[in-house]
Amino acid sequence: MRPTLVTLAFAATAIATTAGSLSAQTFPTTPPAPMPVKAAQFPPFQEATLPNGMHLLVVENRKLPVLSVELAFPAGSVYDAANKAGTADAVAALLTKGAGKRTAEEFAAAIEGVGGSINAGAGPDFLTVSANFLSADAPFAMGLVADAVMRPVFADKEVELVRTQTLSALQLEQSQPASIASRFFAKGLYGQHPYGRRATPATVKAITRADLVAFQTSRLRPGGALLVLAGNISLAKAKELASSAFAGWKGAAPAPLVFTMTPARTTTEILLVHRAGSVQSNILAGNLTWGPGDARAYGAAVANQVLGSGSNSRLFLILREQKGWTYGAYSSFSRVKGIGYFQSSAEVRTEVTDSSLAEMLAQSKRIGTEAIPAKEYDDAKSAVVGHFPLEVETAAQVASQVARARQLGLPNDYVQTYRQKLAAVTSAQATAAAAAGIKRDASYIVVVGDGAKIYDKLKAIAPVKIVNVDGEPMKPEDLIVKASSLDIDLASLAAQSDSFTVLFQGREIGAQVSKLEKVAGGWKWTENTAIPMAGVQQNTTLTFTDALEMQEVHQAGSQGGQQAKVDISYAGGRAKGKATTPSQAGPKTIDVDTEMPKGSIDDNAMQPLMSAMRWRAGAKLPVSILQSGKGSIAVMTLTVTGEEKVKVPAGEFDTWKVEGTGGETPITFWVTKGMPAKVLKIVPGGAPISVERVR
Amino acid sequence: MRCSSAVLAAAFALAAAGAGAQDPARIKIDSYALPNGLRVQLVEDHSSQVVAVDLWYDVGARNEVAGHTGFAHLFEHMMFQGSKNLKKVEHSSLIERAGGRDNASTQYDVTNYFEFLPSNRLNLALWLEAERMRGLNVTPEGLKNQVEAVKEERRLRVDNQPYSKAIWEGTLLAFDSKNCFGYGHSLIGSMAELDAAKVEDVQAFFKMYYAPNNVTLTVVGDFNPAEARKFIEEYFGGIPRQPAPPPVVCDQKLHTGAMRQQMTDDKATLPAVIALYHVPSTSSADLPALELLSTILGSGESSRLNKVLARDTKAALAAQTLLNPFGPRRGPGMLIGLAIANQGVGVDSVEKLLTREITQVAQTGVTTEELTKAKNQYRAGKMEERQRAFALAEAVQFANTYLGSPDAVNTDLERYAKVTVDDIKRVAASYLTADNSLTITIVPEKK
Repeated sequence: MRPTLVTLAFAATAIATTAGSLSAQTFPTTPPAPMPVKAAQFPPFQEATLPNGMHLLVVENRKLPVLSVELAFPAGSVYDAANKAGTADAVAALLTKGAGKRTAEEFAAAIEGVGGSINAGAGPDFLTVSANFLSADAPFAMGLVADAVMRPVFADKEVELVRTQTLSALQLEQSQPASIASRFFAKGLYGQHPYGRRATPATVKAITRADLVAFQTSRLRPGGALLVLAGNISLAKAKELASSAFAGWKGAAPAPLVFTMTPARTTTEILLVHRAGSVQSNILAGNLTWGPGDARAYGAAVANQVLGSGSNSRLFLILREQKGWTYGAYSSFSRVKGIGYFQSSAEVRTEVTDSSLAEMLAQSKRIGTEAIPAKEYDDAKSAVVGHFPLEVETAAQVASQVARARQLGLPNDYVQTYRQKLAAVTSAQATAAAAAGIKRDASYIVVVGDGAKIYDKLKAIAPVKIVNVDGEPMKPEDLIVKASSLDIDLASLAAQSDSFTVLFQGREIGAQVSKLEKVAGGWKWTENTAIPMAGVQQNTTLTFTDALEMQEVHQAGSQGGQQAKVDISYAGGRAKGKATTPSQAGPKTIDVDTEMPKGSIDDNAMQPLMSAMRWRAGAKLPVSILQSGKGSIAVMTLTVTGEEKVKVPAGEFDTWKVEGTGGETPITFWVTKGMPAKVLKIVPGGAPISVERVR
Repeated sequence: MRCSSAVLAAAFALAAAGAGAQDPARIKIDSYALPNGLRVQLVEDHSSQVVAVDLWYDVGARNEVAGHTGFAHLFEHMMFQGSKNLKKVEHSSLIERAGGRDNASTQYDVTNYFEFLPSNRLNLALWLEAERMRGLNVTPEGLKNQVEAVKEERRLRVDNQPYSKAIWEGTLLAFDSKNCFGYGHSLIGSMAELDAAKVEDVQAFFKMYYAPNNVTLTVVGDFNPAEARKFIEEYFGGIPRQPAPPPVVCDQKLHTGAMRQQMTDDKATLPAVIALYHVPSTSSADLPALELLSTILGSGESSRLNKVLARDTKAALAAQTLLNPFGPRRGPGMLIGLAIANQGVGVDSVEKLLTREITQVAQTGVTTEELTKAKNQYRAGKMEERQRAFALAEAVQFANTYLGSPDAVNTDLERYAKVTVDDIKRVAASYLTADNSLTITIVPEKK
């Protein structure tokens, strides 16, 4: 933390007249023109192949006593078994969590002790270990890198920790519309090709320690590995260093796998991912393009700068500045070892979903059909040509660029000549590349949003298929929120007084106390949650009638230092009131005035009513809820997914495991068998937190 | 854990043997001044095609006078609002179009403005900086708008974050607000005083502090020196010199006796303690030892405070130290230890543990391993810094402002390498003592 006041240049404000000007005959009144671009003096690589098959690439730079390393293997997520997607990511995450003779903590302390860093990650095609350290520490630090790739421990404790973190992250993704959109988009673009595959909770749970070991031993081998060293080292020294660090390591390159590409699309199609209650729509539109070495990539880079890269581009200026439909709209070309893709994206208000998509498609077409005006073209080219040097300033950046170019099979001089080739692109070439790379009339489009509000309008743009967030097909008539009669045994609803403890990775961090009381003509539910460590404090009072009609909800408290407050009254089939919720920009207050479909309940009523719901094997209970903080209706589905014996501080019980989807975040409950049921344990998605019954 | 300490010790020995063997090449700095007083520092470096333009105006919160607090920072905002030949935010837009980046920041001692961009656009960055140094567009509306932006920034950074007020404002109590007003008042300033600011006040501030004789321009990277000199002369040469601003007076005594302060915080849910110790100015020969000690005590997972307060006793949720959290200073500074109590742990016991860990260094010192590790981290950080034109420009500016000359950038590492375990013990005994401290206890406000 360093609280110096940094002001972002974009602070925004009013126009002004001149004050305090002074005489300046010689001072130019317009910005100077660019000076000529010089030829890059990117240091040449030197290469060697070690006896064990490892390919070594050295970019020598004696300026500073530092060394950056990239060690890449053909071990990306495309090599995951289809039913174990997520294996490459898990292997990468675990390489530094215990290796050689060191535990995870000892490994971290060892590299920190010399002021260095080692990280590993997996992309679609490659698994890469990156390290930075002072060159004097090279033998020691390379020893750690070698331990990580040759002798990872995969301790059970660490494997389970990574699994838990991954499952939490996946659950969180399910609640984030941008992540949902990108999942469906990849699947739609690439179909059965592994590029279209993503890890799911089921595939992550299926991965065993033996799978991780098998993946590491079969794909992380010296044969086929690329080791890039950038910085203060000669080729001869680099060879010595690598030979000694990786001594005794053997293994031929793993067999390359060949995948069949999905045939190119010929028409435009929309996949509407229905997310009831969304106030915004996430749009992704695009198509497959070409292989990594295609020469049109240069023209496409300039065209994309005009279309959708940064705050001076067309999509941003039109959708945000002119129309005010979105906070930002962008486009990009992505490159992989196989066939890459183009995409344009925006997160827009629900009402303008179709207008925004139509505009994005129109601009995507225009960039390939209309010549780019000269000034706009020059500005765009200058930005994209100009920015490149900032991406190859440090040894770490150089190592990463060089490694990537080599992995993608690009020509040897690719990095050195990139800027010149970009600078040589003509306006006509940019337009032609856009025409070939952006296929307005053969696009795959994913829209995640409230289908009830946007389906009809999207139909006018292209044929629409509808699915729910789990990917199950839906019919247009399913989009209308129906009066969901709650499957409740009213006789089982009884006064209750409960106490829960809140655990973070098994450690107690807070408490929840709640009470359901009988009052004249209905029920009163009070709940008090306190998690000091997370800065959460919340008191809720909710009343509802014997017929389960909601009456009033009042909620007050704070989250992470921000005030939160909800006051809503239910009457005449509507919810009316105000809700203040925390946000990154400070507390945000909205007016709530929402129609309540018959049978809808306040989201706070879920917990008390669960005691009277008719749980049974395979039950799938839809509940229409008002998300009081957002003022919108969502249909949550409570599905009994299993029977488990669960131990909580209150004792051990036979339970139904119930998964809730469709709400703001996915959530898992365990409720006791028999009526009235008791909620025993609650685990919200995306956080290592559980709420467990004490009494 | 047993095996790691032996391995680590071996690693340290190895690193210690290597250090010094390969010092980075000496940085050559071409320093000169224009007739109007503009100081220029040029560092030619063709290892990448990037150039950084970095201006340090010798103005910050310490130059503010009573009744006009927050002006230095408000001014930083005004510098992006347009000038004679530029509309508002056009400065940043032109830099972005050139493929570069720009920004600014305000500290107690200086305000910096910078761009880093492809080297063939050096002329653009210099022209833009000269353009706004020549005169700003200041209107009542523009001013009001930026006062509102500052208020929003204050809400986000100070008012809405737990413990933030104690750090931003509680620590000011350690400074003598009468004899050292410059460091004894808030950097973000009084909102009432900002509301009362008039266009004339802003213009007067601009004229006094944003004059060529009150700024140092540093250019680092891939440029031709003759060409750079020509641009600088052409763009900045015609800006008239102004009378020198009044000197900043600060008479702050050390060891004035232990001070205590209790604060309530309605954003906090757990109690916390800040232990502040006065330290000398950044130019002091004792600073390297204090900085390394701050790293040993409270930076990272394996630091002493984290080990003792968070891991072993579990008294604290988190604990760390910060040396001069608001930036380096030519005046008196501070080293603070900060610990947030764990649930159910009394603020008194956390305070006791925190101050014990800090003050006992004067008796027990630190180990060679701890010191070597802190030096390794410092050195690696400096090497990383030298790889980027902008970071190097900042280091040259730092050396010029705080160490007496831009060339001191070349000897700065050595100051740290020379620190011994005895030095650490000595500076701890000199500064990290109860009679040189302010202890702030922060308790959540009862709701």
